Amino acid sequence: MDDDLPTDFQVIVVGTGMVESIVAAACSRIHKNVLHLDSSDHYGGLWASYNFDGLQKFIKEVNSDPEKQVQVYNLREQWYIEKESPSEEEKGEAKEDGKTEPSKKIWSQASFAAEYRKFNIDMTPKLLFSRGPLVELLISSNIARYAEFRCVTRVLTWLDDHLVPVPCSRADVFATEAVGIVEKRMLMKMLTSIVAYNEEEMNNEFKDWNDKTFKEYLTHKGLTPNLIHYVLFAIAGGTDAMPCLEGVRECKKFLMSLGRYGNTPFLWPMYGSGELPQCFCRLCAVFGGVYCLNRPIDSVETKTVEEGKTKVVIESKSKTLNCEHLVIGINECPKDLVSPEPAETCDISKAVFITNGTIMKSEKEPLTLLRFPPLVEGGGAVTVLEVGPATGSCPKGLFVVYFITNKVSDAETDLRPYADKIFDLSGGDQTEETDKPKCLWSLFYNVKDTSGAAGSAAAGVHVCSGPDAGLDFDRAVEQAEQIFKKICPGEEFLPRAPDPEEIVFEDDVTHGPEFQREDEDADGDAKE
Amino acid sequence: MAKTYDCLFKLLLIGDSGVGKTSILFRFSEDAFNISFISTIGIDFKIRTIDLDGKKVKLQIWDTAGQERFRTITTAYYRGSMGIMLVYDVTNEKSFENIKNWIRNIEENASADVEKMILGNKCDLDDKRQVSKERGEQLAIDYQIKFVETSAKDSLNVEYAFYTLARDIKAKMEKKQEASNPPGARSGAHVLRASDQQRKPPSWLSRCSLL
Repeated sequence: MDDDLPTDFQVIVVGTGMVESIVAAACSRIHKNVLHLDSSDHYGGLWASYNFDGLQKFIKEVNSDPEKQVQVYNLREQWYIEKESPSEEEKGEAKEDGKTEPSKKIWSQASFAAEYRKFNIDMTPKLLFSRGPLVELLISSNIARYAEFRCVTRVLTWLDDHLVPVPCSRADVFATEAVGIVEKRMLMKMLTSIVAYNEEEMNNEFKDWNDKTFKEYLTHKGLTPNLIHYVLFAIAGGTDAMPCLEGVRECKKFLMSLGRYGNTPFLWPMYGSGELPQCFCRLCAVFGGVYCLNRPIDSVETKTVEEGKTKVVIESKSKTLNCEHLVIGINECPKDLVSPEPAETCDISKAVFITNGTIMKSEKEPLTLLRFPPLVEGGGAVTVLEVGPATGSCPKGLFVVYFITNKVSDAETDLRPYADKIFDLSGGDQTEETDKPKCLWSLFYNVKDTSGAAGSAAAGVHVCSGPDAGLDFDRAVEQAEQIFKKICPGEEFLPRAPDPEEIVFEDDVTHGPEFQREDEDADGDAKE
Repeated sequence: MAKTYDCLFKLLLIGDSGVGKTSILFRFSEDAFNISFISTIGIDFKIRTIDLDGKKVKLQIWDTAGQERFRTITTAYYRGSMGIMLVYDVTNEKSFENIKNWIRNIEENASADVEKMILGNKCDLDDKRQVSKERGEQLAIDYQIKFVETSAKDSLNVEYAFYTLARDIKAKMEKKQEASNPPGARSGAHVLRASDQQRKPPSWLSRCSLL
């Protein structure tokens, strides 16, 4: 089937992770001739979403292949429910609106398997800031038409051994009874100066805070302990040691993204983060990029053709492929091409839980970002994302909950104490009314953080790093743009793709489609 | 902006490379046939609004963007699709045999209740025919899917096929709406648009009279 694969391209991209896919789209968009390969049979690499069956295969694959455990290791899967359902007609479907549950569905491993397609479980769950670089790029490039998003409905934190909602918008701040009027004024004043913060022209407010912590700044501002907790842990996602200016930058990012789409600054992609690389791949294909999965590469060689011009030669399944530029994910890349050796970075501890209810009841189905402050000395902050059936992540009646933190010992040791706070991990009767949702299934794993390394030892070879521990996609977008600029200096990065209505085909012409922009109206709906 | 349609259906074209998916799309959306395009560069989806029993139905028909060539259609392609045209070429036996694989692919990735229809395209090329109409009909019976032979070149049955698929989707939707009131489980999801930019400024920046 692969036999008619052409052999000469301007750009070959290996790996379909986020960075690789953005670069592929950007090159193809300006009419570079692009081939995009992946060694596995699905898109996304470590950025993929899996259905339940796919996830089981992934776990098996990693556990049986030591080579794969360089990237992902310490996998530990656990069930908290029976293999088979106890009896047939006891289940009773979960009600659509979730209001009343006359008889809660009793889940079994078999019922997970039966509904495997309804799961979309992310290996690299991430949020988008409503005014962050990825949202702006999706809109400006018109790639936004391939995806749908849901707003995160609430931000929670862990305070005094309880889950507490964090007031996000100005209205929230004024509505909350947890904060007095004097505190409100103080908070608003401080947040206003954070919004005014500008890195280039360091304004007076922050010029003396370069070497101090964010917590010191907040304390200096006279904020009460509760407010410090909200701002430091929930809004800035920091720890006690967070440097002041980093805290200011994180807060500013949060504040600037408020008020665009919903009550919080965040968006979550429908069907999971793994959809996003695919959206960029689609654009690449629409502009002529050739796609081939299940296509591992065996070797990479660079040759100097003439002064300043290199050719990259790739052997793949006994076929020789040539290109001017090779863009390659670090996990697919021969080690001798990565330079310098990636610095020892802190790896990432992750966990996924599937539960039979939300961590905190709410009127409508919630989509939650929870930020835990470190609960142990020396530990990091833990980010938790809870997504429900409305996001296409799981069947009705269930929630998928992701935990992410910097690795200290191993994923399970790092994260289980936090999970214990918000879930019932004891198994047992699922119909029992408990304060905390029952955990039905869990997976702990560590991921190597390769986000620091992206150097290449050879001209014409561009190495893309893997997923980082950050909450958003900002680093991936930034890196993709840098790589694109190296390959195509002076070219525009992902200019707007025309809407189908704007493409005018002349009858009986032999050349390709011409793009013609009719007007600036981005919304094609009203045009017929 | 006023809506110029009553409902929007997302339809997909699926099938091997070269069976004429893009030609079918162009015949239906532009009433044109252009023998020159062999691949599908630059074509994302096309739109045509049709009248179905007094309702304006906007059909958004997506092409594969060539990603079918090495069986690399993204799972994202199938999201939210309500109807799928499975296309083979009556002059190409292999493309007919592959319909079964495409159906498996759909079952794996598309919504379980997606409407399907099989099209045997290029039926104008009778002298090169490898797949008889009867075999097409039998396959359709096996899978309980509707079937018609089409010719994008001669404009044969293309309109009929899309109208039939659209009508089946509409009937299914109406039946569902009777059963449970909320229209579409996916309401509430956002599509990001440039026009969103003009919405309210960040709320922290807006003046508050209390302060």
